Amino acid sequence: MIRFSNVSKFYEPSTHALLHVNLHIKPGEFISIVGQSGSGKTTLAKLLFAEEKPTKGKIVVGDWDISNISQSDIPGLRRQIGVVFQDFKLLSRKTVFENVSFALEVAGEERKRIREIVPQVLKIVGLSDKHSRYPRQLSGGEQQRVSIARSLVHRPKILVADEPTGNLDTIHAYEIIQLLKKINEYGTTVVLVTHDRDIVNALKKRVVTIAEGKIVSDIERGKYLLS
Amino acid sequence: MSITLSIARMVKFTSQNVFRNFWLSFITSTIFVLTLITINAVLFMNVVADSVLETVGQKVEVTFYFLPNATEDIVASAQGYLRGFSQVRDVQFVSKEDALNSFTQRYQNDEVILSSLSELGENPFGHSLVVSTYSTEDFGFIVDAMETPEFSSYIKEHDFTDYQQVIEKIELLNKRIRYAGFCFAALFGLIAIMIIFNTIRVAIYVHRDEIAIMKLVGANDWFIRGPFILEALLYSLLSTLAIVIIIFVALGASHVQMIGFFGDAGEQIIQYFKDNAIIIFGLEFAGLAMLSLLTTAFAMRKYLKI
Ligand SMILES: Nc1ncnc2c1ncn2[C@@H]1O[C@H](COP(=O)(O)OP(=O)(O)OP(=O)(O)O)[C@@H](O)[C@H]1O
Ligand SMILES: [Mg+2]
Repeated sequence: MIRFSNVSKFYEPSTHALLHVNLHIKPGEFISIVGQSGSGKTTLAKLLFAEEKPTKGKIVVGDWDISNISQSDIPGLRRQIGVVFQDFKLLSRKTVFENVSFALEVAGEERKRIREIVPQVLKIVGLSDKHSRYPRQLSGGEQQRVSIARSLVHRPKILVADEPTGNLDTIHAYEIIQLLKKINEYGTTVVLVTHDRDIVNALKKRVVTIAEGKIVSDIERGKYLLS
Repeated sequence: MSITLSIARMVKFTSQNVFRNFWLSFITSTIFVLTLITINAVLFMNVVADSVLETVGQKVEVTFYFLPNATEDIVASAQGYLRGFSQVRDVQFVSKEDALNSFTQRYQNDEVILSSLSELGENPFGHSLVVSTYSTEDFGFIVDAMETPEFSSYIKEHDFTDYQQVIEKIELLNKRIRYAGFCFAALFGLIAIMIIFNTIRVAIYVHRDEIAIMKLVGANDWFIRGPFILEALLYSLLSTLAIVIIIFVALGASHVQMIGFFGDAGEQIIQYFKDNAIIIFGLEFAGLAMLSLLTTAFAMRKYLKI
């Protein structure tokens, strides 16, 4: 599904964010990427949805080599990979419904389909009754669920979540993780970047640990190893 | 995606942008309107100056006084000769009898002058030609043209009445006003460009998160640009419409005062804006739209790398 072959990423002038990374993620997996601040986790996530391009090496998603993806192909890739961030990235002047339907509108989906899909994904994240609220009228956990709903509208095969619980308290964080697990059970590959020891330990899924841009451990049903 | 569907969506996003950011939209349009007011004020001044100069210029004439021995035929042929020049607007023939009449009229209460005139026993005046040109600059040419041997021996003198100095002053003033008008227009044009540039830059900067999100959910570049381009066009259109209304309401309301203050020029200004409305406001819209589109493109490239 996703294959990193000897991938390195350098930022100007001399930051080696990732170094010789080899990683294979199988379809339907739930994988957690952990590591200390500055170790390169976000960089790895950004490479996946082509926010950054690798300096060296090759990244293949499905059958698609995205190492040198052209600007005009990026929208196509983004519609196949859902992304979720710590800061939700919702449009404050659009309602919950509009924030979700937006992702379909920009992709040229027909109105009829939009009216079907949006209520479906809002139901999955449990926000059916709050579709006409604005983001500021929601709790952090609810906002994150809107952003997850948005990431699901294209029925992505892959969902990349970069510290989705970073701004949430324990209870809301737990809800979000349950939601990600549910999405994973429906068949979507989930790549979760996180700092949270308890979450990683409770998941009992594959854990990849990064330190200074290198993969230092990769364990099925792993634990949070860092102190 | 079908073109009509994407255009419909762009229009929808544009109207959401405009109404949900009401204050930003309002301020942007207001600055556009203020810019247009400045430009039209410069235009207004230029029309006033033009029209005043033209009015004064029309009142200036040069008179050729012929010797009494110049027959009416000779003077008539000189009149025809002068009329042949494209610079000449009009040539009035004043006969020696008319000259005598207006002279006696003018001194009807002066016994000494009148009695010395009757002592002469004959009309001491010659015929004369009063020439007006389209431009005060052409008087020199006309005077030179009358230096031909054919007529010069019959001409007693020529005379710019008291206008010789006036003409020179007007010409100088004319040049200075045009120069000042040009400088003003250039200066305000530059200020306008900078203000609009900055306004749009701010508007796009405010939307930078939104644009980043559009990119993240897979919108292609044209779809992201579309609403901003429409927005720029909309502000240009709305502010041009506003300025049309403002100018015609202002001119209409101050009609009487304008005529009182500027005289004929007042009428001409109103007429000028009426006659050239489509060109003036069309060009202003085109300029504004082009400028705002260029800045939009530039700001998006700079801040959003699209
Ligand atoms: N755009 C950039 N330009 C230059 N250096 C960058 C850029 N983005 C990240 N870096 C550097 O690359 C390294 C890895 O950054 P990255 O954001 O991947 O870390 P991270 O593991 O996500 O950290 P955190 O847990 O704090 O989010 C860091 O040293 C960071 O300073
Ligand atoms: Mg990070």
